[in-house]
Amino acid sequence: MGLVLLGVSVLTFFIAHVVPADPVLAALGEHAREDQIRSYRHAYGLDRPVGVQYLIYVHRLLAGDFGISIRTRRPVAEDLGEFLPATVELGGTAWLVALLLGIPAGILSAIYKDRIFDHLARIGSLIGASMPVFWLGLLLLGSFYYRLRWLPGPGRLDISAIPPPPRTGLLLIDSALAGDGVVFWSALRHLVLPGLTLGLFSTAVIARMTRSAMLEVLYQDYIRTARAKGLAGARVVLRHALRNAMIPTLTIVGISFGNLLSGAVLTETVFAWPGLGRYATTSAISLDFPAVMGVTIVAAVIYTTINLVIDLLYARLDPRVRYE
Amino acid sequence: MRIRIAAVVMLVGVLLAPQAPSRAATASDTLVYVNDISDMISLDPAVAYEFSGVLVAQNLYDTLVAFEGEDLTTLKPRLAQSWRIRDGGDVWQIVFQLRPGVKFSTGRPVTAKAVAFSFDRVIALNKSPAFLFKDIGGMKEGDTIAVGSDTVVVSLPKTSSPQAFLSVLTFTVGAIVDPDEAMAHQSGSDRGEAWLRNHSAGTGPYMLDRWDPESRAVLVANPNYWGPKPRLSRVIIQHVPESSTQKFMLESGDADIAADLTPEQVLDLASKPGVMSQDGKLLQLVYVGMNVKQPPLDNVKVREAVRWSIDYDGIIRSLLRGGARKVQTIVPEGLFGFNSSAPFQQDISKAKALLAEAGVGGGFTVEMLVPTGPAPGGPKWADIAAKIQSDLAKAGIKVEIKETVQAQLLGVYRAQKGQMVMILWGPDFPDPDGNATPFSDYAAHSIAWRNQYNDTAAATLAKQAALEPDLTKRRTLYKQLTDKVLHEGPYIVLYQPTKRFGLRQNVQGFVWNPMAYAEFRTVSK
Repeated sequence: MGLVLLGVSVLTFFIAHVVPADPVLAALGEHAREDQIRSYRHAYGLDRPVGVQYLIYVHRLLAGDFGISIRTRRPVAEDLGEFLPATVELGGTAWLVALLLGIPAGILSAIYKDRIFDHLARIGSLIGASMPVFWLGLLLLGSFYYRLRWLPGPGRLDISAIPPPPRTGLLLIDSALAGDGVVFWSALRHLVLPGLTLGLFSTAVIARMTRSAMLEVLYQDYIRTARAKGLAGARVVLRHALRNAMIPTLTIVGISFGNLLSGAVLTETVFAWPGLGRYATTSAISLDFPAVMGVTIVAAVIYTTINLVIDLLYARLDPRVRYE
Repeated sequence: MRIRIAAVVMLVGVLLAPQAPSRAATASDTLVYVNDISDMISLDPAVAYEFSGVLVAQNLYDTLVAFEGEDLTTLKPRLAQSWRIRDGGDVWQIVFQLRPGVKFSTGRPVTAKAVAFSFDRVIALNKSPAFLFKDIGGMKEGDTIAVGSDTVVVSLPKTSSPQAFLSVLTFTVGAIVDPDEAMAHQSGSDRGEAWLRNHSAGTGPYMLDRWDPESRAVLVANPNYWGPKPRLSRVIIQHVPESSTQKFMLESGDADIAADLTPEQVLDLASKPGVMSQDGKLLQLVYVGMNVKQPPLDNVKVREAVRWSIDYDGIIRSLLRGGARKVQTIVPEGLFGFNSSAPFQQDISKAKALLAEAGVGGGFTVEMLVPTGPAPGGPKWADIAAKIQSDLAKAGIKVEIKETVQAQLLGVYRAQKGQMVMILWGPDFPDPDGNATPFSDYAAHSIAWRNQYNDTAAATLAKQAALEPDLTKRRTLYKQLTDKVLHEGPYIVLYQPTKRFGLRQNVQGFVWNPMAYAEFRTVSK
């Protein structure tokens, strides 16, 4: 993991520095005076050679210091602490949506191959995978919030709700710890539409993957044997087929978890969700490379951790896989 | 299995069940203002210089003098009940008499020492707005002196304009901060900067209750406020970056004012019940700068031909849906010295004749840098650029549009390397000098410099006008300057945008100050 992070940090740092634009101008804007620009550049160490800047950055990073954001002028670690929990909550919900809808849809599609459910699920997957997230978000918001008034609008909480004191930054957990049922309920309801919006693409991908993996397994000899032994259909599918079909699906499930957690700028924009995706995008546009580095490193940690977990899960699912 | 399915169905049902409280209109004592506040980095008046930071800070703090409502020509007393400018020999001296009995939200009295502390603090911290004191005012730490507890004397060098400085004092940078509160929270030598980033210690009608970055800022009424009590005791400035979402919230009654609607969305409000639109003036000018050292733009006739090629009315009518004013001089409407002369509208035969006179009758090719994203007033920069491209093509001028992120564009522009650059300018303070000097004085290293427009006569006029105390003479000087730059300068001023708001129909008393903020104390519903 250390090597991966080192590689990511080197690449991101140098890519950020070859962009032919000045982050200080992005931060200070058109009206900035020359002396202001100079002192700002000096304060952020941007007047030093790139190699020296990188070494200083890594030195600080090893001490847990991500540096100061050029745009927000706050420690990047503080910004990440502020925005990451919102993304974890949203990404986690979207992932649950994808799992709870995608895997059953894939299984049923495979069982009822070429029947009406299969066709409907495949059309649904196609729509889910191809519909622009931005448009889907507005569609859901327009339908369930604006027209039907069933669900709350944008943001993580109702406007009148007062968030609990932050402990984890995750509103569901913080409000549960504080025993604040009103905020918990508000936070849960606010997760539904953005969670669905963000989760639909992954649902479609997981459903298609599960279907094809299941189809492959369902025609294997040992399934025929299980059926011949007189086992119930559901038991064959869930105990015998699904376990093997999950091995390729697991990779997709893991990757989509990583994708969902590393930010979802469009969903966050439509639903005014104060998450990492918007932070990363705004930072990139402003050439705020300490922030971009911070987000990239966090994303790299998330991905490598997920990969590790997936590898360990392979071993649990498939007795043939052993790690020495 | 069935039990699990039933549980899931129940959960979904309960989540979807209509919830009366969250669907009602906003609370009667609360104003919900939805806006993109992603630019908010600090609410400390010595630091804030971004639109949303200034919007909040203007409601938390008071200044010595103020422009009220839309009028940027008449200074009104605020924390100073009177003031006078006197000639102090080598310096100008502005003497302020403070309003008696005013207290900070902390309960401490406002004194002359607090004013000196606040002004010195701006200069010492040297953040984005500090140049307004240091460069425009020519001030140093110690130039603000407390005389007794209720009189303040600010000394300015004779090279600075006292009128322009008084205009600067209407802005958040001139806010008075409680020194004891700021110093009680000092960290290192920051004079309370880190603490004041998300706390308040002012005399304004509101105090800061909380600010959750990228989420919302909540203001509550200041119980010690010296003026008439604000009509609404709470203001929530809610971060909603997407304009369609803002519109949903406004129409649903979850927001009282939406600040970032597109021209189409504003037009659509007319057919919706319970909502209305309102225009606010802005001092920004959207313009194209032409680099006068890049042939053939070095020829004044070519620049004039470019100006005659553009369909200004069409841009305002079709792209901005009427959300702008046709202004062609360098001082915007709303400021002293505005010159309403707007002679240019597309006249291709005139443009071609001028090009022929300049020896480029066969046309030429020019590159135009354009920022990404939306321009003031709503349309995309790229769409306005495409319109200009097609307009200029009729006169035989081929424009190559280069859409560039703002930071990169500014880098090229500041290095004098642009050919044509489309961008906006808003004055830093509500005085014509906030535009006249940058647009006319090459030595100011601002817009004239970027376009390599070095006209000594224009620069001299700008200097004279800035320092002229007689208002009639000052007006004449600005007329001369703006007429001169209109024809000889390197600018095509395209329009002055209007800010358009969507409001719930019960919202009253909302007034947008053209310096891009609103005072919420006058709003009721």
